[in-house]
Amino acid sequence: MKQVNLRSLGSISQNDLSMGALQNRFGARMGECLTERSEQLPHDVRERLRFSREAALKHAAEVRRAQARPVHGLGLNWVGMGQSAALSGGPEQSPWWLKFVSFVPLLGLVLGLVLIQQGQLYEQILAAADVDTALLADNLPPAAYSDPGFSEYLSSQNE
Amino acid sequence: MATDKELSDFLKSVEKRAFKRTAYLVRDEDAALDIVQDAMIRLAENYLERPAAELPPLFQRILSNASMDWFRRQKVRSAVMQNMSDFEPLAGDADFDILELLESRDQTSGAGSPADEVSRAQTLLAIEGEVAQLPTRQREAFLLRYWEEFDVAETASAMGCSEGSVKTHCSRAVHALAKALRAKGITL
Repeated sequence: MKQVNLRSLGSISQNDLSMGALQNRFGARMGECLTERSEQLPHDVRERLRFSREAALKHAAEVRRAQARPVHGLGLNWVGMGQSAALSGGPEQSPWWLKFVSFVPLLGLVLGLVLIQQGQLYEQILAAADVDTALLADNLPPAAYSDPGFSEYLSSQNE
Repeated sequence: MATDKELSDFLKSVEKRAFKRTAYLVRDEDAALDIVQDAMIRLAENYLERPAAELPPLFQRILSNASMDWFRRQKVRSAVMQNMSDFEPLAGDADFDILELLESRDQTSGAGSPADEVSRAQTLLAIEGEVAQLPTRQREAFLLRYWEEFDVAETASAMGCSEGSVKTHCSRAVHALAKALRAKGITL
């Protein structure tokens, strides 16, 4: 067992030392005793402290990894996270096909919007064609609606 | 920024003292281990960017906060923080007690026989018991100042009090310990 070496301090004279110095010397001796006592911790406590230290270092490593990870765009970052989780567990460069796959949902969205716009345009054309067909197939010529006398006739019919 | 090795070395150097100090405070070894682990993880997660030299006071602050969090959870903080023995008057011959304790050991031999080993272990246990019985603030100031080897300003910062309060707490702790050890016939 380690012995606290007190004799190295030499003789202490009450006249030579101030109260503060005495307190400091006494505190230092007490500190040595407490250190010696703390070295006698049970094995399970020392193991638990080691586990705690390793857990803290693991957290520190995760924080460092998170800080070192490069910032990508939304799509690429999503692919990078997917890759790190599924394949390597680290921030590595994505292969070209994974980058391409990340754009597939975007391409699908654009294609869908174009198809919807084309469908609505086609329906408008069909509706206009129906109106034209009805007007042309009627016995009354379309020019009659621009005649003021015919308009007067229609209003008198409604009354 | 502290490197992994600096952080590991620091935690390794401080973990036993941190556990002991926390165990004195909460008087529960399992809780003390949990608190120390919590403090280590908080330090690693939130203060990695700080230089290694700033880790000791930061860790003491985090450890104190983690201990207080534990007391809040246990609803006994007020009972622990208040101790009327802080107001006990100092003994008139206390400075002589300290000198006597320091000198008397110088006259003894440092033989390492089994009997001496057992005696030494019992002495250390008794010293630890006396430290554990100090009022909370006195013990905290004494251990930070003389065991963690903080200076008065650092101790005041870690405890969140004035330097004058630190000096007062330390002085009272030293006198109380000297008196208790002399009563038990223990020399350092």
